[in-house]
Amino acid sequence: MLRLDGLRLVLAIVLFAGGCGYAFTSDFFGKELLAEIAIFAILAMSLDFLAGFAGMVSLGHAAFYGAGAYIYALLSIWQDWGAPMAMLAATLFCGGAGWVIGAVTSRTQGIFFIMATLAFGQMAYVYVFENRAIGGDDGMSGVPRLDLSGIGIDLNDPSIFACFLVVMAGLVFVLFVWLLRSGFGRALVGMHRNEARMRALGLPLIRYKAAAFAVAGAVAGFAGTLGAQHSMFVSPDYLHWTNSGLVLVIVILGGLESLIGPALGAAVVIALKHEISTHTEHWAFFVGLFLIVAVLAGGKGLYGLLASVRDWAAAKRQPGGGDA
Amino acid sequence: MSDRREHMLEARGIAKSFGALKVANNVTLELDAGERRAIIGPNGAGKTTLFNLLTGEIAPDAGTVLLDQKDITRLTPDARARRGLGRSFQKNNLFRGLTVRESLTLSAMIALGKARQFWRDPGSDVEIAERIDQTALWVNLAGELDLPTDALSYGARRQLEVGLALAARPKVLLLDEPTSGMSPEDTGIMLELLNSLPSDLAMLIIEHDMDLVYGAAQRVTVLNYGEIVFEGTPEEARASDEVKRIYLGDWGDHHA
Ligand SMILES: Nc1ncnc2c1ncn2[C@@H]1O[C@H](COP(=O)(O)OP(=O)(O)OP(=O)(O)O)[C@@H](O)[C@H]1O
Ligand SMILES: [Mg+2]
Repeated sequence: MLRLDGLRLVLAIVLFAGGCGYAFTSDFFGKELLAEIAIFAILAMSLDFLAGFAGMVSLGHAAFYGAGAYIYALLSIWQDWGAPMAMLAATLFCGGAGWVIGAVTSRTQGIFFIMATLAFGQMAYVYVFENRAIGGDDGMSGVPRLDLSGIGIDLNDPSIFACFLVVMAGLVFVLFVWLLRSGFGRALVGMHRNEARMRALGLPLIRYKAAAFAVAGAVAGFAGTLGAQHSMFVSPDYLHWTNSGLVLVIVILGGLESLIGPALGAAVVIALKHEISTHTEHWAFFVGLFLIVAVLAGGKGLYGLLASVRDWAAAKRQPGGGDA
Repeated sequence: MSDRREHMLEARGIAKSFGALKVANNVTLELDAGERRAIIGPNGAGKTTLFNLLTGEIAPDAGTVLLDQKDITRLTPDARARRGLGRSFQKNNLFRGLTVRESLTLSAMIALGKARQFWRDPGSDVEIAERIDQTALWVNLAGELDLPTDALSYGARRQLEVGLALAARPKVLLLDEPTSGMSPEDTGIMLELLNSLPSDLAMLIIEHDMDLVYGAAQRVTVLNYGEIVFEGTPEEARASDEVKRIYLGDWGDHHA
């Protein structure tokens, strides 16, 4: 169950306001970084919904990201669909694909589930990589951006586009807060805690797991439509499993089952990745090092760390009593 | 033979073997609306397995299960639960990290078909809130609703175990040793609790505690090696030589 406590709210507001502010004050490189962070934050929140809350650790998340990006690109380049329709169609397709793949993979448990999602992801990767009709390993360029000039917003301005992505990440956060408090979201959390009991209480497990997968897939696909618009280019790299791994690392570092932690994790990991990769190619080594520290420190990630600081401060302020 | 009254739960010729071990041997039993029946028998007699066969956790080799006159033999455990077959577990089977209220909410919202609502918070649903309050009164947890389940005493957790099943408002409730591991005082509370439940609720109670059997059940079924060896009132069970033999005369304080 998600409790939208003070810490989550404060973090969300700080990240949101910080992101919007940074979009207009940073240099070009900073804006690029911010855009990437916002997209990874969306991916990480959707994976946290699936892995952290519903307990389904997937290594196929990048496939949905890539599928969303490609479908958006194909529909807007080849079919001349307007960007809003192309974004909607790509998101819905990824939701549908998530439902099917979720219904199939959910029949397995634990490590077999992870392997099944990895296999699906790699199948999608190979399909895109080998398919010359959609550019094969060269990918496709010339992906258009959403045109909001009608309401006076120019998304070709890097500041405004970065800010737009931060707003999208904010909306995704609100969506998940809302979903996780609903009957559906609670059922997923209950299933994660005690699957057998939920079934004995009448919950059809596979249907709910498929639905969780559909929601996470749709949001990851949505992130893909944003990624394609950001770089105006799609390539099989979008779907590569190392992206799935990176998102999972972000979720764990940020704090599983905290929703806002993974958004914070995206900011930290993506910024670190860029910072370190200007000095050495082995940025993954340092991210791995952080991951080990995070896991050893109780596995609750950055969010867990902040939560214990809060609890410690509350205990200090009010000896013997909890906070009001 | 038995009259054609409306059986709420009926098992006909249920059989199940684990390899060479026959854990259910042609088990036939009926439970009427509002009937309270105890199932007793030595350790390993197949009592829990019978529950698993009735709830669909395990598929029988032969036989039929009917709930409210409808064949449910082929239904999944969750489908049976949605039709009103509730159960509690011999070992506490709770939601770690959730509060009592959150746990009961899960049960109530599933039973009310509100688990699929992705737009509304069951935490602010009046119907669910009423159900939780009533359930908490039944199982003596009204004061503990906002405690995490891990913070409850063993006896209270045992009560929640039953409460989770009750919050779904089942037609038939299967209780697997509700007092297992409980102190005599807590056992007394459980007995009172069971007797305070709505009189139309049919219950099948696996129990080793004879005080609870005498206090809560009108009928007793004795299971031995997967076979029903006795059926009758608690008094008849006490007088039966066969039952005495199975229990080695150890009536007063038999425990698992
Ligand atoms: N899944 C299984 N596979 C193989 N054997 C099993 C399985 N489940 C139970 N058994 C065996 O079936 C027999 C009946 O077990 P069951 O748990 O139903 O007994 P019980 O009457 O509930 O006993 P207790 O009073 O100890 O709870 C035991 O010998 C047990 O070891
Ligand atoms: Mg048992």
